[in-house]
Amino acid sequence: MDPLRSYLGRLLLEDVTPVVMVLTTPLAEAACRRSGLSFVDMLSPFALFKKIDVPVRTASDQPYRLQMFKIRMVYASGVRKQDDEAADERLKLVVSEANEKALQDLLSDPPQLEDVLNKPEAELCPSWIKRFNRELMRTLSFSEHETFDHPVACLLVVSSKDKEPISKFADLFNTNQLPSLLNEGVMDPQVLKHYLVLHDQQDGPQEIAANILVEMRSTLGLNDCKLLCINSSTQADGSDADNSWLPYKAHGLQNHEGACFLNMEDMNQIKDFMQDLASNHIIPYMEQKIRVLNQQVATTRKGFRNQIKNLWWRKRDDVPEAANGLMYTFTSIESQIRVLSDYAFMLRDYELALSNYRLLSTDYKLDKAWKRFAGVQEMSGLCYFMLDQSRKDAEYCMENAFTTYLRIGSSGQRNAARCGLWWAEMLKTRGQHREASAVYFRISNEEPSLHSAVLLEQAACCYLLSSPRMLRKYGFHLILAGNSYYLSDQKQHAVRAYRNAMFVYKQNPWSYINNHVHFNVGRWYGVLGIFDVAIKHLLEVIACSHQSLTTQSMFLNDFFHFVQSTGKKFDVYKLQLPVFNMSSLRVVYEDHRTYASNSDVDVNESIWHELEEEMIPSSSVVRTNWLDTQPKNSPFRNNKACVCVVGEAVKLNVELKNPLQISVNVSGISLICQLSTDASSAETAALTTAAEKDMANTKPSISTFESDENNFTVSKLDIVLGGGETKRIQLEVTPKVVGILKLVGIRWTLSDSVVGYQYFEVPTQKKNKKGKRGARHSLNNNLIVIKGLPKLTGNIDCLPTKAFTGDLQILTLNLSNQSEHAVKHVKMKISHPRFLIPADIPDLDFEFPQCLKKHVQSDNNAVVSKGIKGNFKGLLFAFPQDTKIQGGATFSWPIWFHAPIPGNFSLYLSLYYEMESTSDIPYRTLRMHYNVEVLPSLDVSFAISMCSSRMQEYIVRMDIMNKTPSESFAPHQLSCVDSKWAVSALPSSNSSSFVDTIHANQAVSCFFKIKDLRTSSCIEAADKSCGSDMVLSSGGSSTDVYDVSLSPITDFHHQERYQQGKLAKGPHSLLDFILISKAAAVNSSKSEQLLSHHTCHCSPLSQNLVWWLMEGPRTITHDFSKSCCEANIQLAIHNSSEDNISVRVVTSDRMPDKNQNVPSHESSSGQGGWYDVSLENDIKAISSPKGTHLPKESSDSTTPFVWCSLSSAQVDLKPDSCAKIPLKVCIFAPGTYNFSNYELHWKVHPSEGGQVDENERSGGGQGHPFYVTVLQGA
Amino acid sequence: MASTACFVIVSKNDIPIYEAEVGSAPKKEDLAYHHQFILHAALDVVQDLAWTTNAMFLRSVDRFNDLVVSVYVTAVLLISLTASVTHTRFMLLHDSRSEDGIKSFFQEVHELYIKIFLNPLYLPGSRIASSHFDTKVRALARKYL
Repeated sequence: MDPLRSYLGRLLLEDVTPVVMVLTTPLAEAACRRSGLSFVDMLSPFALFKKIDVPVRTASDQPYRLQMFKIRMVYASGVRKQDDEAADERLKLVVSEANEKALQDLLSDPPQLEDVLNKPEAELCPSWIKRFNRELMRTLSFSEHETFDHPVACLLVVSSKDKEPISKFADLFNTNQLPSLLNEGVMDPQVLKHYLVLHDQQDGPQEIAANILVEMRSTLGLNDCKLLCINSSTQADGSDADNSWLPYKAHGLQNHEGACFLNMEDMNQIKDFMQDLASNHIIPYMEQKIRVLNQQVATTRKGFRNQIKNLWWRKRDDVPEAANGLMYTFTSIESQIRVLSDYAFMLRDYELALSNYRLLSTDYKLDKAWKRFAGVQEMSGLCYFMLDQSRKDAEYCMENAFTTYLRIGSSGQRNAARCGLWWAEMLKTRGQHREASAVYFRISNEEPSLHSAVLLEQAACCYLLSSPRMLRKYGFHLILAGNSYYLSDQKQHAVRAYRNAMFVYKQNPWSYINNHVHFNVGRWYGVLGIFDVAIKHLLEVIACSHQSLTTQSMFLNDFFHFVQSTGKKFDVYKLQLPVFNMSSLRVVYEDHRTYASNSDVDVNESIWHELEEEMIPSSSVVRTNWLDTQPKNSPFRNNKACVCVVGEAVKLNVELKNPLQISVNVSGISLICQLSTDASSAETAALTTAAEKDMANTKPSISTFESDENNFTVSKLDIVLGGGETKRIQLEVTPKVVGILKLVGIRWTLSDSVVGYQYFEVPTQKKNKKGKRGARHSLNNNLIVIKGLPKLTGNIDCLPTKAFTGDLQILTLNLSNQSEHAVKHVKMKISHPRFLIPADIPDLDFEFPQCLKKHVQSDNNAVVSKGIKGNFKGLLFAFPQDTKIQGGATFSWPIWFHAPIPGNFSLYLSLYYEMESTSDIPYRTLRMHYNVEVLPSLDVSFAISMCSSRMQEYIVRMDIMNKTPSESFAPHQLSCVDSKWAVSALPSSNSSSFVDTIHANQAVSCFFKIKDLRTSSCIEAADKSCGSDMVLSSGGSSTDVYDVSLSPITDFHHQERYQQGKLAKGPHSLLDFILISKAAAVNSSKSEQLLSHHTCHCSPLSQNLVWWLMEGPRTITHDFSKSCCEANIQLAIHNSSEDNISVRVVTSDRMPDKNQNVPSHESSSGQGGWYDVSLENDIKAISSPKGTHLPKESSDSTTPFVWCSLSSAQVDLKPDSCAKIPLKVCIFAPGTYNFSNYELHWKVHPSEGGQVDENERSGGGQGHPFYVTVLQGA
Repeated sequence: MASTACFVIVSKNDIPIYEAEVGSAPKKEDLAYHHQFILHAALDVVQDLAWTTNAMFLRSVDRFNDLVVSVYVTAVLLISLTASVTHTRFMLLHDSRSEDGIKSFFQEVHELYIKIFLNPLYLPGSRIASSHFDTKVRALARKYL
């Protein structure tokens, strides 16, 4: 690219141009004022020559032609260094002027990526920024160390009205009035002078001026004097003048207002004058000066000798010169060289300029005149650029200049900025945008915030232009720029910068960035008074959960502040505060299914379904054949729609969450609904899902859904959500008329100022197809409203949520019908009959627990309860047929509660009822659900072992362990369920020894005896005290006994038996126990608490099919002197199995080898009636209840008795029969004998159908010990 | 000496999947977004630089005033067939410090990251929520930075 065509090239051609200092008299100035212009303003449009086409010859002999040329016209008063404050004011003006234009843009949408990319390069940066750059550079005009601003010529202007014009010229160039720079010797006062007489045509004829001109020419010189006539136009409006000014307007003539008396002729005259001035005076003068200076430089500096001299001279004078403030006056050789090179630069002889700049730079470097050095470097960099030579050198020079300026501190800052701007432009021209932006960024650090903002914005633009585009850098620098704008109080620009950056950060997961951008943009919009946009942006940030508490409250405060500033309530779609969890949304409606409480709704539908399966009539029953399966007018035609009833609330559960750490006040949460009553629209709405989709897509404005009080009412809910809190709320809508109810969305008010609303997203067709099972889980927002129905509400009074195991209570089931119509055919089903059993009769005669006590006429009840039990087997309980619950009536029914096992349980109850009147829904169900936590209380276990000494008697050990941490219980009664069993205390222990209360964590064991009452041998059968119930508590009489055969204990027992039977392993179950205990009353006010523990299917530890027992005299007195003693004993054998058994009895004279009760070391010695009494044996005897250890006579090796009769006998036993085998023993000496050395072997003969386990086919057993003491008779 | 160090793992589409302020300087609210801005802007440079070198550790790629951005780039992961190939970038914003320490830090974090990545339950490109990872990274930061 041709450097001259580039922006920087043009910039340099226009800005680095010869300066003409203008000195005017007040009268001359007044003449110009008449046209609303100053003299300089009038001339400056003509100071730019697009095609001057002047031949120029500088140092070299080769002439070249200049095409474009410009002269800067400056008043003498302007030839001085601007003071910083004025300069800053000027710059600020430029920026704030652009402010007004920016305002309109702010109302439009922020630009998108495509918009920015499609923009032409020139438009990326606003045009005013270029003007700003120029103004920034101009603040450095007329600096000490540069000479291109030094006036080349001086134009002295005198009006024709002035008296003695000639002397006026002398006065004008009086040294007192000249700029200080000229006087101080920085600038050369010997400049080209040009004299001009200004004549106002309206003041008189031209002749006066012509005379003056002649006079001037004679005194001041022929060529340097000119006459200029203005204001030739007679009419003040100057309509033609306006047109003629047009071409020049662009060149800095903005503020010309009012009348203009210049006509075309005047303008042409001015133009000619300027042309003449430039081509005939200024350029030749400069050429001349260049040649002279060049000659001078060549003689003093060029050549080897001069260089040596120069070096030596500099070294010597170094120190004293540096101390002097003004080192270089215009007469110094350095300044001369500088002037030479600047003139050459202005006349575009860059080669010459460059060579001199380089020469100069070494000098300045040696002198350590850094500012001048930097200036020279800067210029040589520009020369390189204009020559389009080595880029590297150019950049090196610019960088060198830049860093040098920075190094000298504050005085060089602005110069550094200018240098940077040039440098950046240079890089931009060469397409090195990235480097350019880096330069801009570097300058921005040196400038006050406003300037740095503009510079940063340019840096951002450069990033956008660089290839590849660096959008993120673009965004970042725009944000930085915006921040700086904000700091320098330019909010419009700040917003503009942020807005432009916004597309970079759109949908950006970098949360802090997002928040920062939106918050600041929002806040600044708010400050500018554009509240709606401000709120829109702030909405993005108010729900930020990751920010700290202070930031969150800051966001929120600003948001509310702006909202209040608008003075109206804001409707915000999808307000993020609080967050509604739409996936948690659930619509609860009651068609034929009604619920007792809200928690029941959450129970899985399948549980209810299973529970109600038998109870409700199946749907297919209604249809007679498949053709008229669906009645024409049934509203259930569309399966998708759900049904609700007029007057009954449709509830909607939704979770809402406060993402902030601050608590927010949410009020008036309500549903947005639509209830269409006319049939046609209802049909279409129900049938077409397309309509729903349309609704979802085109979000209707909220106003159309204001609550329609005639058709339905909605509940309003006010809550305060704490920081980070999640709440589940329930919203209600109660339809009042029949139709189709559509749930559209939710609305709420945040802190009384912002109304948020959100529509439910209707799941699309596709989603449904994928199969979300169960319509209740996907959101059904269309509900068919049908006319009013009776509805039961119900609950179980004070059902405990926590109970101890075994707890037995009576509760009341309350049902109430709040409608006008009656309901009938009430049925109930309970999921856990183990826990809840409805009572058989509606009223109880006695107070609980007295009603459970034994009455005289208890037999009757027992029969009834047995009958009911069958009914209840299916868990379905039908209330009496005539039960009708009238409208407005309540109905109660007692219900028993028992907690059988510890754990957490959910009890489900479902009530079925039918409508008295015909209606759309023939029946309804009421569903109840309770959670019960059953705590462990008494742990009861039984160990039963056979009594070896008695037939059909068992020893029972009952272990009770109190597992509660603090409660204590008193065992009250132990009952065997079957009446064939009698339970009694062991003879050795009486009831008083039994513990009254079992304290926390206490374990108690006690022993009982049970016997089978059916065995004929039992004599005490008639004895009342030995029944199936035994009172355990002290002082308890038989009247305190609870009747276990009564409902509900028997019912619960039935359930227990069934449940525990599932767990029981063996087939042999003997009997069931019920332990009834009372909680030790802590405070008497509480009614007595009863616990019943059911232990079913207890069986003895070892169960034999065959029982046998030796019977006979225990003591025999015999005179052994006569004969040996014969003892008659008999063995009773009982078959307790259900099969025929043949039993063989074998006696042996040897002691059994493997007597399990005898310790092993004794078994070696084998036999004998007498045993050693050792300590060891004693302990064992204590530990084992069946101890059979007797002193043993070690010397004796044979048994001292002999079985006399048969050695083997066989009997066949029928099931459940008894046989006795007589035996005879012959004893030879007195002593105590154990007749246990016999064995039984039996064989089972299974009956036809009976199946007997292979292992139990046959068996055998050792004899039980039977001690007989034989004494020596007299 | 209070030092700044902000560590970010950036996945595809420039989504930060892990962020941690690991410097010893007290955390300031207004600096958090500042750091994010710098790191986010540095992605532009990383984008170019990543393809010019074989090294994973790109050293300091960008600077903002006295804060330096060092970057470590993992191997290209084909996240899906349609998605463009993207590196996962570990970015550390810090004031000038030893390059060796930073390099070791990045390498160790890379190991940790691979472990996270191998977790079948971790969806590539999603936020790393593992507290274990977090504590480990912080420990490494204390060790090397």
